[in-house]
Amino acid sequence: MSTTSQMLKGLLEGSLLALIAKRETYGYEITEKLKEHHFAVVSEGSIYPVLIRLQKNNFVTAVQRQSPSGPKRKYYSITTEGQEELERFKQHWNKVSSGVSSLLEEEEK
Amino acid sequence: MLSKQANQFIIELKMYLMSKGKNDHEINSVIDELSDHLLQAEAARKNIKDIIGDSPRAYMKSIGQEMGFDIREFLILTPMTALLLIAYVCFSPAILGEFSLSEIGVFGVIAGIVLSLILYGFLLVRVLPKMFYSRWFYLIIGLAYLLLTGFFVLVYLFDKEPFFIATPLQNNLILLGCILIFIIWSLYSKIWTSIIIPIFISIGPIAERFIPENINEDPFYITLATIFSVLCLIVLFYFIFRNGKKNSVS
Repeated sequence: MSTTSQMLKGLLEGSLLALIAKRETYGYEITEKLKEHHFAVVSEGSIYPVLIRLQKNNFVTAVQRQSPSGPKRKYYSITTEGQEELERFKQHWNKVSSGVSSLLEEEEK
Repeated sequence: MLSKQANQFIIELKMYLMSKGKNDHEINSVIDELSDHLLQAEAARKNIKDIIGDSPRAYMKSIGQEMGFDIREFLILTPMTALLLIAYVCFSPAILGEFSLSEIGVFGVIAGIVLSLILYGFLLVRVLPKMFYSRWFYLIIGLAYLLLTGFFVLVYLFDKEPFFIATPLQNNLILLGCILIFIIWSLYSKIWTSIIIPIFISIGPIAERFIPENINEDPFYITLATIFSVLCLIVLFYFIFRNGKKNSVS
């Protein structure tokens, strides 16, 4: 696995939490939102193992409702624990991204 | 409606997760979710590879890794499957009132059950998902069934020195036990096959037990029964092939 895809997978969990925190949403809508933000996931379906993990860790809850297309659609909402995890993710991300940016900028100079 | 390729993937994923002992409710939930995603993606003219990547197998694995092993289901299903297979083996001799146990019989049946679980497990995961919509699906299940029946017939043929012969009362109790297992399995799995198959299995032994010997051994009736069986088989194959053709057209 390339460094980029490994990095993306690590960031996907936090990014999904951030999207779900905005409002209740479902799988396909999440992938569309990720695209709007130019988040290059390996494949659209790669969000589902992460969503299962988030649910298992009690960071999100899900309810199934009938969709207009036929099969049941699963809608995700963030939990209090998920909100806390998202805050932790934001802090880590700020530290990491500012560190890497400063390092790369220094190299360019 | 999902494309054939997407449908194929959904079936393979379902069978893969079932074979890995995942929870039924979780499997159905992820299957519904992915079906909904694939429907919307295909309506937007996306390819299945955009959703699951280049390797369906790797994708199935990544989903399976996140789902827990359903120990409760495993602890219920394993003994129940073993009991069902034992019931199938004991059913006919019990109807005939000839239930007995011998060393070869006991070890043969245990070996047969292990062989059945391995063979059907392999078919379920590796072979059948790839041909769900093909006429070969039923033929392969039929062939596996024939192979295993052949094995049990061999065991039966060598089964000559019983250390236990059931009394008429014990035979009836064993028969009752078998029927109970078939009904419980059917209610639990919500599949009627475990009741329908024993009904077919029982026709021969019931006929042998209750039809007078002079009719049973009359060549005219034997020929009549053979013609009837062949006709039934022809009708069965006709429906299987017609079904396979319909599916391959759609």
